[in-house]
Amino acid sequence: MSRPSVEEVVDLLRSEIRRPRSDLAQTWAVFVANLRIFLSYKTWVATETITTLASIIMYYFVGFLVEPDKLAVAGYGGSYIGFALIGVASTNYLWMCINRLSHSMSHEIREGTFETVISSPINLRSYVIGIAIRGFLVSCYFMLGAFLLGVYVLGAPLVLNPLTVTSAVILVLLLITSHLGIGITAAGVIMVFKKGDPLTFLFTGLTELFGGVLFPLYLLKDYGFLWTFAWVLPYTHALDALRKVLLLGEDIFSASVSYKIVILLIYSVVLLPLGLYFFRWGYDRIRREGTTTTY
Amino acid sequence: MSWIPGRCSREKIFIAPSGPRPGRYNECIRFVHSTRIPLDPFFPNTDLDLKCPKVVIFLAKAIEVIGVSKEYTSKERGRKRVVRAVDGVDLAVEDREFVGLLGPNGAGKTTLIKILGTLVLPTSGRARIAGHDVVEEPDMARSSFGWLHGETGGRALYWRLTAMENLKFYSALQNVPSEVARRRIDILLDFFDLVKDKDKMVKDFSTGMKVRVMLARSLLANPPILLMDEPTVGLDPNTADETRRLLTALNEELGKTILFTSHNMTEVERLVGRVCIMHKGRIIADESPSRLSRLHRDSEGIDVELESELGLDEIKARVASLPQVVGVSSARELGNERVLKLQVRDEAEAIFEVPDQLRGMGFTVTGVSRSKLSLEEVFLRLTRS
Repeated sequence: MSRPSVEEVVDLLRSEIRRPRSDLAQTWAVFVANLRIFLSYKTWVATETITTLASIIMYYFVGFLVEPDKLAVAGYGGSYIGFALIGVASTNYLWMCINRLSHSMSHEIREGTFETVISSPINLRSYVIGIAIRGFLVSCYFMLGAFLLGVYVLGAPLVLNPLTVTSAVILVLLLITSHLGIGITAAGVIMVFKKGDPLTFLFTGLTELFGGVLFPLYLLKDYGFLWTFAWVLPYTHALDALRKVLLLGEDIFSASVSYKIVILLIYSVVLLPLGLYFFRWGYDRIRREGTTTTY
Repeated sequence: MSWIPGRCSREKIFIAPSGPRPGRYNECIRFVHSTRIPLDPFFPNTDLDLKCPKVVIFLAKAIEVIGVSKEYTSKERGRKRVVRAVDGVDLAVEDREFVGLLGPNGAGKTTLIKILGTLVLPTSGRARIAGHDVVEEPDMARSSFGWLHGETGGRALYWRLTAMENLKFYSALQNVPSEVARRRIDILLDFFDLVKDKDKMVKDFSTGMKVRVMLARSLLANPPILLMDEPTVGLDPNTADETRRLLTALNEELGKTILFTSHNMTEVERLVGRVCIMHKGRIIADESPSRLSRLHRDSEGIDVELESELGLDEIKARVASLPQVVGVSSARELGNERVLKLQVRDEAEAIFEVPDQLRGMGFTVTGVSRSKLSLEEVFLRLTRS
């Protein structure tokens, strides 16, 4: 069959058909495109999977050095592998969620595709959400893998029943919403500063140290400022609640967990609009400076 | 007459006393669409359920740039330096015009196109595309144009997606219904000879193939205005020719407005009806190519083509001795032919007298015409001065 002629292409373009802007369709398109790009980096997916699983195995062995009685003082039971598994899985998850957004943004700016996107009639919110969903989904893969290895291979004693699993899912969702604002802010910052992303680096570093990922936070009690600072981070609250649910079998209706849920909701409500504001700030600034593809 | 309010193009649409039946929404929409003005077609029903006799369209300019300047701040050895990339540019492109925007590197063309494409905010002035202010109504403006990003080349594509995936993604961003998109993608991929490579990742494409994908992408949403930044760079001669023919057909048959940049002067001369030359951020010429050529001639002149066995210097010396001839600006050989550009005293007389005199001297005159500068010569003359 011969190729279409100029006339056929002209005929094809005689009708002007567009549908109203659908934020949902655009979000879906951004998500699908980003997921396909991610999956095309097969080596990265494989190495990252191995790294995540290796770190869980490492903490399994570290757990032999931790005395259960000392750990129990923290109020999460006596299993270090269970304690560390929740910490490592959730922090990895969080890091990926936050980092992915600014990473994708800098990648798009570097590749020049950002111009294509923002010169299209797309709602910026749809674009950010599309990328974010991809980040969450990919992070879920790693978190699920870590939990499966921890629970079914290494024997981490997590309390898994419909109520605790549902509570954990809700807490993970709140973990996302309470940190998404920071991720979006970081994306706005990276648009302007292009490289380095000080916000994500600082935040994820602080979270690992002060969130109590690998050690019980009560150890900071003697260091007044550090102890206070640790509880300023939304992650600390989310992790505390997650451990109470998955290690002690509490649920979202228990007083200590529902209190954390309220705190996480407040963080979400405050940080999300702030994130969108900073994203808009970054977007307007690079359009003023004409640096939409400068890296 | 009264306005149709709402999200439609409020500067352009009026109600007049006859036309589609009152309250017939689809009839009104069809009429508005038949004008092919890039409206948001989904303005509220209620707005058109006016006593709606007839929708009369007052065409806005396709592209309107009023006193637009853009300054960039850069740092040089610790000092701030302000660079004025675009300097008070005024430009009006009518609906259905095909305009070439030329200029040396750094003239401000890309910045101007980026301002029109809503990627760069102007420091001052206003720009409208299809009547939509690029700063105040960026979404409406974005629905009105298709853009071939020239400067970034294949960078503007997702290299780790296939050609097909790139086009599908873009059609979703442009709100093209999926079944329409599918058909357009199939035909455009076929037209640009990408069918067998449609499932390959763009990273494995040659430069020309990437340009072809970008061309297909810029047409996918069938926008009324096309911003084409060097669309034929990197294309093989056949595809470049097909692309030029397509752009011409889109302009002539579908009335697409095209703003086109290129460094290929022959191409521009062949395609566009109007040329704007930018230099140091300003538009220094804005004419049709033929008028530009006439305007920028130094003096009256004619071009003579003749056949002779003599050498160029000998021919030049003999021709220069003719009474009508003031001087010989240039002489070159083209096979057996010699082409001479002559400065003459009176062009109207010389065009008849000089060939006769040359024949009298034993030359075979094969052609004579009023001399004109090529677009390239005009361009060089304007941008070097």
